[in-house]
Amino acid sequence: MSALKLTHVSKRFGGLKAVSDVSFEVPEKTIFGLIGPNGAGKTTVFNLVTGVYDFEGEISFGDTRIAGKKPSQIAHMGIARTFQNIRLFQSMTVIENVLIACENTRKAHLASALMRSALFYRDEAEIRKEAMRLLAVFKLDVMADEISTSLSYGNQRRLEIARAMMLKPKLLLLDEPAAGMNYGEAEGLKEQIRWLREEFAITVILVEHNMQVVMGVCEDIHVLDHGETIAHGAPEVIKKHPKVLAAYLGEEVDEDAPESAALPA
Amino acid sequence: MSHWVKRGLTGLLLLALAFGAEFGLATIIPDTAYRQLCMLAMVNVLVALSLNVINGMAGQFSIGHAGFVGVGAYTGAIVSSHIHLSLGARDYAFANSFLVVPPSIIAGALVAGVFGLLVGLPSLRLKGDYLAIVTLGFAEIFRLLIATTSPGSSNTGIRAQIAKLGGPQGYAGPSDFGIAQYAGPFWVLGGVIVCIIIAWRLKFSGWGRALRALREDEIAASAVGVDPTNYKVTSFVISAMGAGVAGALLAGMRDGNPTVQPEQFNFAFSFDAITMVIIGGSGSVSGAVLGGVFVTVTVKMIEQLQRLEFVEALKATHPEFDINALRMVVYAIVIILLMISRPAGVFGENEIGRWFRRREAKT
Repeated sequence: MSALKLTHVSKRFGGLKAVSDVSFEVPEKTIFGLIGPNGAGKTTVFNLVTGVYDFEGEISFGDTRIAGKKPSQIAHMGIARTFQNIRLFQSMTVIENVLIACENTRKAHLASALMRSALFYRDEAEIRKEAMRLLAVFKLDVMADEISTSLSYGNQRRLEIARAMMLKPKLLLLDEPAAGMNYGEAEGLKEQIRWLREEFAITVILVEHNMQVVMGVCEDIHVLDHGETIAHGAPEVIKKHPKVLAAYLGEEVDEDAPESAALPA
Repeated sequence: MSHWVKRGLTGLLLLALAFGAEFGLATIIPDTAYRQLCMLAMVNVLVALSLNVINGMAGQFSIGHAGFVGVGAYTGAIVSSHIHLSLGARDYAFANSFLVVPPSIIAGALVAGVFGLLVGLPSLRLKGDYLAIVTLGFAEIFRLLIATTSPGSSNTGIRAQIAKLGGPQGYAGPSDFGIAQYAGPFWVLGGVIVCIIIAWRLKFSGWGRALRALREDEIAASAVGVDPTNYKVTSFVISAMGAGVAGALLAGMRDGNPTVQPEQFNFAFSFDAITMVIIGGSGSVSGAVLGGVFVTVTVKMIEQLQRLEFVEALKATHPEFDINALRMVVYAIVIILLMISRPAGVFGENEIGRWFRRREAKT
């Protein structure tokens, strides 16, 4: 069964068709790439899947339809995401950032917080332990009480992923995780994404411009341009796909030009 | 189990403090006027604490808090006066206050909470200035509805019911003898203690954390499962309920004003409440307490200033010299100085003693 399925999905912003009749299926436990030039509609697809906008067509997550659900409900169904420009809760500490993600699943609610019942303390201790465990996995546990913005850029990216993982998602959407990373860091990221999938048994969808990462880690790639699907397939296929090359280079492909120059593998 | 023992002891201590205030305040502060000021300061602390939930913790902007306090005041006055009447009591005995004050506070909180829900629900689509306008609109509609419905035979239907609230002259109980004034220092201080504890626990709980997250980044918060609607409406209702408690205590305050008048709950009241929160520091419980006391005392100080001889003399020679207007000047200067030196208020979002905060954070 597929983890996520888009069927004839479209989204308009006024006169602009941001996503136009896009259909694809993400098999479970794959690392799936969603690529395309700037303005192709990749992030919009993420926003549709996470319920930020309504849309035409159908998106289903497992057996459940996404349409009409609120972002918070979708998060609870098991779809977590990160953002293109890091969106941490800036004045909060590292661990507090992670704790937010389990707020609605906890047993102790407002009443027991007001009473400071035994349940409240137990629950708080439990989720803190869980959060620390998760932070340790991402090597952020030593800075748990630091304010999140004092972290380095790379650590902030990792914290955002840790926060998403606190939701215990089945599907993780990563929006340009390699942005701003150098060659070495990007290599490390490839390892981390593979490791995330193995460790948590999740499906990962990756929006990324860095071809080193996309071609290195994705098993299946969907290419958008101007909101429309232009290609779909394994990395080897996408690398040589004439439409993809045209979209990225902005001109017709010269058959004689070496492929490596067009898209570094 | 020592935790529960400690908690029980603290409870007893606070109870003793409230009882001590009830019977000792008259000895400590013999002057009725200063005692009044003290009680008013405590009620204003409640006002600031409740507004702090919306304006501080939730990061919304309400400028109509007077409306919720007013709803609580009228409800509390009606309930306490009717119970007083049915008790057939002549004086406001302390023992009877246990029958009168709790129902009036609860009624004030509940009715104000319902209005909080009614205002909060549609307002969630709005942010910033637009939400502020809606809250101001609510407060003004409430005030003007009562102020423009004078008692008289010409009223029918719902207007006749509103007219029972006394119109611009104010509500003075069911038989116009004045509102039952049972709320002595025990109840007012007790109310403040309970509300400080509630505010503290709200702030240092998962709920308060989620509210802060929503304030900082609504999109990111909803992406990790925090439902903005739920949290915003709850914070609105909680804030309105706190204002209702403050209102009920204000109306039933011992030796206080025997009527509740619509003019008490004008825009200046809301503005004072905002000043309290901003001076203390938005989102800070300690700050709300400090702000409530500070604003009450400045207002009183300026009133006292008017009675000074040289001011009286000055007023006699210069009748245009209005010292009440000076209050606004003092506020303005204080706020300007504060915003320069401490842009986030005295406490910012912190509390007295960071030790407490750490301890709460670790539990």
